[in-house]
Amino acid sequence: MPEAPYRFLLIAGLAALAAPSAFARSPTPTATAPAATASVASASAQGAGGGSVDEQVQSLKSDVLDLNRDLFVLEQELLYPANTQVAVFVSMDAGTFFALDSVQLKIDGKEVADYLYTPREVHALAQGGVQRLYVGNLKVGKHELVAFLTGKGPHHLDYTRGATLDFQKSIGAKYLELTITDDQKKLQPQFRIQDWE
Amino acid sequence: MSSRAIRVRSGPCPRALVAALAWVWTLPVFAARFHAAPGLAAPDFALRALAGPNVRLSEHIGQVVVISFWGVGCDACRGQLESLQQDFSRYGSQGLRVYGVEVADEQAQALHFARGTHVTFPLLLDPAKTVARLYDVDDLPMTVLIDRDGKIRQVVRDFTESSRHVWEDELRTLLAE
Repeated sequence: MPEAPYRFLLIAGLAALAAPSAFARSPTPTATAPAATASVASASAQGAGGGSVDEQVQSLKSDVLDLNRDLFVLEQELLYPANTQVAVFVSMDAGTFFALDSVQLKIDGKEVADYLYTPREVHALAQGGVQRLYVGNLKVGKHELVAFLTGKGPHHLDYTRGATLDFQKSIGAKYLELTITDDQKKLQPQFRIQDWE
Repeated sequence: MSSRAIRVRSGPCPRALVAALAWVWTLPVFAARFHAAPGLAAPDFALRALAGPNVRLSEHIGQVVVISFWGVGCDACRGQLESLQQDFSRYGSQGLRVYGVEVADEQAQALHFARGTHVTFPLLLDPAKTVARLYDVDDLPMTVLIDRDGKIRQVVRDFTESSRHVWEDELRTLLAE
């Protein structure tokens, strides 16, 4: 992730780029200015029943939210282009034998994520939630992903396990999924990393 | 001579440039990189607790949160933690959350120290000083008051009786908002 000032500059630049399209959706500013002034002036006359200023404010808020969403999408596309993007997701099925505490991710020996879970987050995962733990860029070629998981295992004992995946990054986004499941036969948790289709 | 004088006057004034740069530097986007100052959003963090579940600050939006940074070797920290315990007992039902963040000591030492203070609010461990750096902790004890919107409202670096009165007034105001 870029540092805050660079991020700010990036967003400002994107805002400047997006500005013409935003204006294109609405009438020209010079054309709307007198109308807006007129509606503001008439708003007080209309009283509570009019609501035209409120509608305009709501419309403006909606436009700002749309613009913000577009900027976020543009930012994500610029920071993580589809050709180099790698994302790792975490999901949990059951989790009876394992109370998740933290996950540490290493790609090619370099730590890229270290996440500490609260009970609320673990509950969300247990309810079927999927967390995007990491998103980054990788070159085309072979890579190794290692995940270290810590938590409480069976009988509430401290439990640390690892899972490894050697994967091939080709052109296009790569999505990997780290799943935590229960092995009912062994009465142990099971950790697996796989391609997310 | 005169044309040079005119050129100097028509160019950008160095003082104005410096002032403009200084102003830009104080903008929240730049300031946030270095300081957790009043008015800025409190940096989010997740820490393990000395006893109990992990804590993430962003899960407490809507509540008034007090974060007190303390250490085993700090004499004033004991008094401050006990004082915060009184606030927690008094205002806990009104949505006050208090967290003591222990900065860079051994867990066993921290546990021993904590037992002596009889606090009931969660004490968190920051062994790598990650959160202490985020909040620009330069002295112990240091206390940060965060409002219901997740913004820093007050940072107290000296915990005395006089500052305690100001602190309690601010706390009551926040809880009433």
